This record gives sequence, C-alpha cells and structure tokens, in this order.
Amino acid sequence: MQFRYIIKEGFSGFKRAKLSMFAAIFTICVSLLLLSSFAILFINANSVVNSLREKVEMEAFLDEQLSADNVTEIKGMVEMLEGVREVHYVSKEEAAKIFQQEFGEDIYKVLNFNPLPASLKIFLGEGYRNARHAEKIVEQVKSIKGVNDVIYRKQLLEMLDERAMIFLWITLGIGVFITISSIILVANTIRLAIYAKRKIIQTMKLIGATRGFIRLPFLLEGFLQGLIGGLIAAAVIFVVFTYLEKWLTVSLSQFANVETYYYGIIIGTGCLLGLLGSMISVRRFISEGINN
Amino acid sequence: MIELKNITVAFDGQKVLDRLDFSLGQGEFVYLVGQTGTGKSTLMRLLYFDLRPSTGKVRVASYDSETLKSKHIPLIRRRLGIVFQDFKLLEDRSVYDNVAFALFATNAKRSEIKKTVLHVLADVGLSHKRNHMPNELSGGEQQRVVIARALVNEPVVLLADEPTGNLDPTSSAEIMELLKKINMRGTAVLMATHNYELVKKYPARVVQLKDGKLTEIEMKKTK
Repeated sequence: MQFRYIIKEGFSGFKRAKLSMFAAIFTICVSLLLLSSFAILFINANSVVNSLREKVEMEAFLDEQLSADNVTEIKGMVEMLEGVREVHYVSKEEAAKIFQQEFGEDIYKVLNFNPLPASLKIFLGEGYRNARHAEKIVEQVKSIKGVNDVIYRKQLLEMLDERAMIFLWITLGIGVFITISSIILVANTIRLAIYAKRKIIQTMKLIGATRGFIRLPFLLEGFLQGLIGGLIAAAVIFVVFTYLEKWLTVSLSQFANVETYYYGIIIGTGCLLGLLGSMISVRRFISEGINN
Repeated sequence: MIELKNITVAFDGQKVLDRLDFSLGQGEFVYLVGQTGTGKSTLMRLLYFDLRPSTGKVRVASYDSETLKSKHIPLIRRRLGIVFQDFKLLEDRSVYDNVAFALFATNAKRSEIKKTVLHVLADVGLSHKRNHMPNELSGGEQQRVVIARALVNEPVVLLADEPTGNLDPTSSAEIMELLKKINMRGTAVLMATHNYELVKKYPARVVQLKDGKLTEIEMKKTK
C-alpha cells in the first residue's frame, strides 16, 4: 500500500476542495452541537431526577415495647428485603433531637414526655426508588411484627414516575429525530463532496486501482472532517456550558454540568460520523460504471 | 491476447452486440469502425470489464469473463492502457501527477515512479510541460498525457475509444503517429473510430461493427 500517497490524498481536500470540506466540517460540527447539547441536558436532567429519588426515604415506626434484640432482629429483616440498600435505627431520643432541630423546641418542654416512637430509616437501592417497588416494600415492612406504620413521600415518587416517563418519551423522540437528521445531513454533505470527485474515482478504476486503494483516502478525509468538526463542537460546548454554569443559579447549574470525558465522546462521535458518512457515499460511487 | 466468443450484449431487451466473435493478436493494430451508436464503446467496455456480456465469453490476456472474480478486474486493467475521447484527466493536478497517479494506484515503488513517468512523458513529447495543469494544454497535448498515463504500466493492449474524436486534424495526426510508434514497439492497439480518413491514411486491419456483428473490411490507402 502507498501509505504516503493515501495520507497525502486524504489531506488534499483541504487544499483542492475547500468549500466542500468546509461544508462537511460545518455540518458535522452543527450536528454534534445539537446532539451533544441535547444529550448533556438529558443526562443532567436525569441525574437531577435521580438525586430527587435518592432523597426519598421510608420511615418505619416501631412498637414502644420492643427490646433491643427485637429491634436488631427487625432491622436485620428489613435489610434482607429486596430493594433495601441501607437501614438506620433512630431511637426515641434521637427522634427528639431531630424534632428539636426541625422545630427549635424541646419536645419534653412542650409535652412533658416524648411521644415520638423509635423508627427505622429505610433507604432504597437504585432501580427501586419508584412508587411500584416502594409500595411493595412498604407492604413487606408493615407485615413485620413490631412495625406499627410505614410512611414515605408517596406522592412525590408517583409524580416523579409519571413526569419521568413523559420526559423520557419526549426526549427519546427528540433524540432519535436529531440523531437521524444528523446522519442524513452529514451523509448528504459528504456525498455531494464525493460526487464532485466522481471523475477521480472513475479514473482510478480505469487505471486498475483496487477498491481499497480508492476508498482509503476518502475515509481518511471523512475521518479528518469529523475530527475537526468534533474538536470545534467540543470547544463550543466547553465555552457555552462553562458560562451557563456560572450564570445560572445553583439549582439550575446542575443542568449545565459537563464531565470531562464527554468531550472525548463528542470528538469520537465526530470522527465516527465523518467516517460513516464517507463510507456510505464512496461505496455508491465505486460501484458505478466507468464510462457512465 | 484478446478473444471474444459468441458475445451477445442486450440493454432492456435490445441487442447491441449479437453473437459476435473477435480476436486480437499480440502486437496487432486494429481499427474498430462503425457509426455512432453501433456499440463500439460497448465492445470496449467488455474488454476492460466495465460490462459483462449477456452471453458468450471474453478473454483478455489470461483472464476469462466466465471465471473472473470482481477483485481481479483491477489487475486486468493494469495490463491494459485505456484512452478515451474525453481524456478523463484529473484537472486538479499537473501533467506529471496525472501520469504518476497511475503508478501510485498500482503500488509501484516510489523510487521507480519518477524515472518511469519522466521516461514516458519524453516518449509522448511532453517533458517540458510536466508541471502544467491539464487546462493549460491543447486537446492534442491532453490526449498525449492520457496516452502517457496508459503506457506507464507497460500495457499489453492499448484500448483507444475515439482518441481523436475531439481533436483537430493536425493533433489527430500526431496522436496517430504516437499510437503507431507504440504499436511498433510491440503493444497491441485496438482503436475505435468513425474517422475513415484516418483509417485510410494509417492503414491496418479494420473491423466494422454493424447490426451487432463484426465484419473485416478492406480500406484503400490515401495520401
């Protein structure tokens, strides 16, 4: 293989076909900007929802008469339940302290006695923080002897479930739409660029170049277009989201959080888009007859 | 060298070539004549395997259309030199690069490319214009670059499809002299043309394509 030749040809588009090269890079860049902004917002919105779910905890109130052994036994039983990640015991005294923290008053001074029962704080595992699973766990905990009642923020979980599903379907729809549009847009732009080079492809076939030899410079060119498009898109995302994060309020800034490895994914996706686009387009033109 | 046996080619049920036989020996010069649309280019396309016959067998050098795999087609084309009426030069590179391109595409050694290209350009009389772009050359000169590109891989047969079709009489004569010179060195030439004047001026074996069949015809030499 003439590697030097292939590399030289792969880079030659920057010199010989500036406009179509610019169009391809621009298209890849815009597609990536759309895709990645959307993906980042989606991922961040998802993690906000998940952090809300994480805060949902159950509280199982225990019978006043239980001995320390009984409590340990019940705690062990709850811990064994499917979907339970962690269980903390809150004694009557601790409950009183929490009361004081929340209301600023000592319960003993208000009522002269402590009516707050001891309880178990139950934290659910990932994948179980939804109304359906929570309800099942509540039933199981309630059925344990010595547990008087179980409470949790049922309405919040139900609302999250419902909204999360709507959010998921809408974003999935938009995501699929943006992805398909991007691929079509990129493939079309690259196809136009390669169409302009049909003559070169015909000539190469005429003089006995193999398909691989014809294809490689185009693939390299597509890869380079994708790389540049990806780098530009990553840079724009970096600048825009860094500013957004600074300007937004603390609670909203979570939506603008960009992990460092996202930039790698953006650039990698760019390379893949460019490579796929040129692969699809060049295949069609290689299959054409010479003297058409 | 080249053999066509019982070839039929049909497009949309319409026969262009009809049970045609033809052979071209080593070092021969043959004109393929016939009016426009009689199938000269179709016959040429069969020879460089851009088209497969509906029935019959094409043999070029040691390759046979019945057993040939697609991946071998580039190998056949490297043994053929192909010249078109519309040149098919790459407009975005120089004369030298156009010719060198054929060697790069066929995996020639880098060290030999420069020597071979300069040698072939000297052969067609274009050494001094090696750095020119195709659009800076006359039609005749462009066709000479195409011939140089066809010769660079030392083909056994040169297939020329109307090589003088776009040229004035002087340039046509120059191209004919060049083709004759190449033929004298042992390369077989099959030239499709409808320019009977040239055929008479540079006599050789003539086959005429008419109604899908080939017939040998005699031409009288003119001065």
